[in-house]
Amino acid sequence: MAEVEETLKRIQAHKGVIGTIVVNAEGIPIRTTLDSSTTVQYAGLLHQLTMKARSTVRDIDPQNDLTFLRIRSKKHEIMVAPDKEYLLIVIQNPSE
Amino acid sequence: MPVRTAKQMKPTLKVTKSRTPNQSTSGVLRVNQSATNTRSVNSSVHRKSFTLAGDSKVLDKGSVQTHKQTVQVFDETGKDVTPQPLYQPEAGALQPKQSKIFTNHDTSGSTLSDFLSTAYQTTNASFAAPFTRSVFGSSSVSRSSQSTMESMNDEIEDPSSKKDISLSLSDVQVRREEIKEQIKEHMLDCMVDCYLTETETIWLLDMPALSVSMDSEEAEVVKGRNMAYQELCKNRLGNDKYMERPMQTFNGAPKAKEVQSDSISMVEKATMATHWDIYDSYVSDGGAGNAADGASPTKLDISTLHRVHSSRPLDRTMSGASAISTASTSSSRIDTEAFVVQGENESDPEDVLHSEKFLQDLLVMERAVLENIYQPKLAAYRQLPILPDPNREQKAGDERDGQDDVSLNPALERLWAFNCELTMGRNVSNMAWNKKNPDLLAVGYGQFDFKDQKSGLVCCWSLKNPTWPERIFHCESGVTALDFSTCSPSQLAVGMHDGSIAIYNVQSTEKTPVIDSSDCAHKHTGPVWQVRWVENEHGPGGEDKRETLISVSADGRISKWFLRKGLDGIDLMKLKRMRSVRKHLGVKERKIEALISRHASGLCFHFHNNDSNIYLVGTEDGLIHKCSCSYNEQFLGTYTAHIGPVYKITWSPLCPDVFLSCSADWTIQLWRQDLFTPILGFTSTHKAVHDIEWSPRWATVFGAVNEGRLEIWDLGSSILDPIIVSMARPGVKLTSLLFATQTDCVLVGDSGGQVSVYKLKNLNAGEGKEVNTLHDIIRSTLASQL
Repeated sequence: MAEVEETLKRIQAHKGVIGTIVVNAEGIPIRTTLDSSTTVQYAGLLHQLTMKARSTVRDIDPQNDLTFLRIRSKKHEIMVAPDKEYLLIVIQNPSE
Repeated sequence: MPVRTAKQMKPTLKVTKSRTPNQSTSGVLRVNQSATNTRSVNSSVHRKSFTLAGDSKVLDKGSVQTHKQTVQVFDETGKDVTPQPLYQPEAGALQPKQSKIFTNHDTSGSTLSDFLSTAYQTTNASFAAPFTRSVFGSSSVSRSSQSTMESMNDEIEDPSSKKDISLSLSDVQVRREEIKEQIKEHMLDCMVDCYLTETETIWLLDMPALSVSMDSEEAEVVKGRNMAYQELCKNRLGNDKYMERPMQTFNGAPKAKEVQSDSISMVEKATMATHWDIYDSYVSDGGAGNAADGASPTKLDISTLHRVHSSRPLDRTMSGASAISTASTSSSRIDTEAFVVQGENESDPEDVLHSEKFLQDLLVMERAVLENIYQPKLAAYRQLPILPDPNREQKAGDERDGQDDVSLNPALERLWAFNCELTMGRNVSNMAWNKKNPDLLAVGYGQFDFKDQKSGLVCCWSLKNPTWPERIFHCESGVTALDFSTCSPSQLAVGMHDGSIAIYNVQSTEKTPVIDSSDCAHKHTGPVWQVRWVENEHGPGGEDKRETLISVSADGRISKWFLRKGLDGIDLMKLKRMRSVRKHLGVKERKIEALISRHASGLCFHFHNNDSNIYLVGTEDGLIHKCSCSYNEQFLGTYTAHIGPVYKITWSPLCPDVFLSCSADWTIQLWRQDLFTPILGFTSTHKAVHDIEWSPRWATVFGAVNEGRLEIWDLGSSILDPIIVSMARPGVKLTSLLFATQTDCVLVGDSGGQVSVYKLKNLNAGEGKEVNTLHDIIRSTLASQL
């Protein structure tokens, strides 16, 4: 448990990391470093996208599964580690 | 028998008998008469009389009439409104006799026959009738009945009265017949003639047959019609067309009933059946029946046909196909079974944080984040072209300057440093690459000096995360030696300052060593300066490559360790001090000093790359001994050159006979195995050289670390000076050196706890011919010396 907290802190302290969000399967934020509305927005949108991505991966090969999702945009990179029970989201500005 | 008197029927009417005779001449007439007489009162009698007539038997109705009583109808006022009979028979008309036969015929006159019989027999019986009548009748009735009885008595053959009686009995009403008083006794003896006449035939339907002559023109038509009709009649029996079937159904009385129910709410629900959804369902159910079915090729064929998407090749994993085969064979079972989706209710959302997978995901995420940060550096490490980030803002002239400044001089580029808060302030004593995973680095932290000893630390760093080690092992005393095993790549041998050796398993997250030599009797009593896993190619009994852990320590012993109920070691060699040394250095032999110990401290050793029997040992005295595993008493040879403790000896990986040694006397010596004097010596600074290592790629290149700086020597370029020099950070001393095996990077550990990664750039050492170059250098040097 302490390891988890430490790792989360470390991630947040890395260069360029804007925010870290952990939401559970119902969309309730467990840990977040962003404000509430942004958190809810990210969580909702990314949940849908993750579902679609997972569906795509599994449609091609049902034995495969989605492990990590990275979306690179002009300004940020959004990294999502999905799971059945939670969603781990980190937003980073890599070119900082 | 319900007999109603006229009086009962019409209370307003008074019915009296009248004595007017009603005589009829003929039977028929009489019938009619009687009918007419009684019409007003009793219509049923009317009917009766007609039925009698319909039988076409002559019945003497006259008798009916004779004792028929005239009914007189009076209204309220007492006026006689008796309807006049239509026919008034003559008075005194003979009343024809009636034979018994006819009376018997009348079914309704069964009572009549009774009466007749009774009348014949006794007069008493006949009295019964008026008596019966008298029951219902009034006094007048009784009177009339008496009179009838008289007439009946008078004329036995006169059944008409009886008939009348019977008729009146069976009928609703009682008829009063007027008794003809004219019937005297004398008439009884007279012969009465009865005339029987037949009534006319009554035609109900008359269809006269039409005959057509055969010769007429209509004959054919008629014949045809007749034939058709005959056919029809014939076919009529079994013909379906002529099915006569009367039916009567009971039509139940309809009743309307209203019912009210709750409105049925409809909800639309849509779902998408995807490939993986179906696959998941198969797997979750087909796993149970897997053992029963087995996976036979025929079933596989069938299963592929049954597959939803037939594009799936057969060479996919068997487990998936066998699951489908069970599905195909037990498809009905699957259809009927309901798939229960397991819903886990996490009462505490924080539980997510405790899951193992979450920690793993976090690690992956951290690496991903760091990859973004360190991507150019890692790319440089891997010798990949560094692609500029297209989104990156072009800082003014920054990168371009860097790119323009492509100097052809060999240089070091600092990529990054392995550093974290844990390791800050610790002295890096040793570094080792993992044999299997070249990205994994083990770093041992421990002080060299005896003075300030801290607890030791071993960190396993991964290239993917330079900011935090993957594994952290805390040791009791300072770590002075490290080595990864080759055979079991996850085992890490750690030698410590207190002389104990521990073996850690880096795969597990346990913080404790797998095994420890603290309990061993043979454990080292001095700091273990070096440990090595050495492969024995010809082990005892001709086994495969086995590894033994060999260590050298300050107590002068080189020990071989093995696992036997704990780490146990035997001594390979005990380093003895040699006294007859240093002649060539020109130092006078001194007096034999009192020795503190007979053994010399070993500081380093290196086994020969090709021959695992031969190894070199460097001692604190500056001597390098060549030893063999087979001899544990004698050295094979001694190389003397150094005047200070030899910190490192290393065989050249590319040239089998050449080795380097470095010592605290600021020198690096290049030796050849067969010569006991060094071929070349390198001195650059006035600092002790702590570590040297040959470059794994270039035979003429080696690196050296002294306290103040990192030096890269290229013997092909210069044997006097290092070609690259990199100064240490102020305040730290560089203590260890490690070359990266697959890239031209060099790792330098310092006393501040940092392990810096440098990339060698523009090293112009050629490929392939360095060995020759080295040999040439050696030869030339030797030649020059001679």
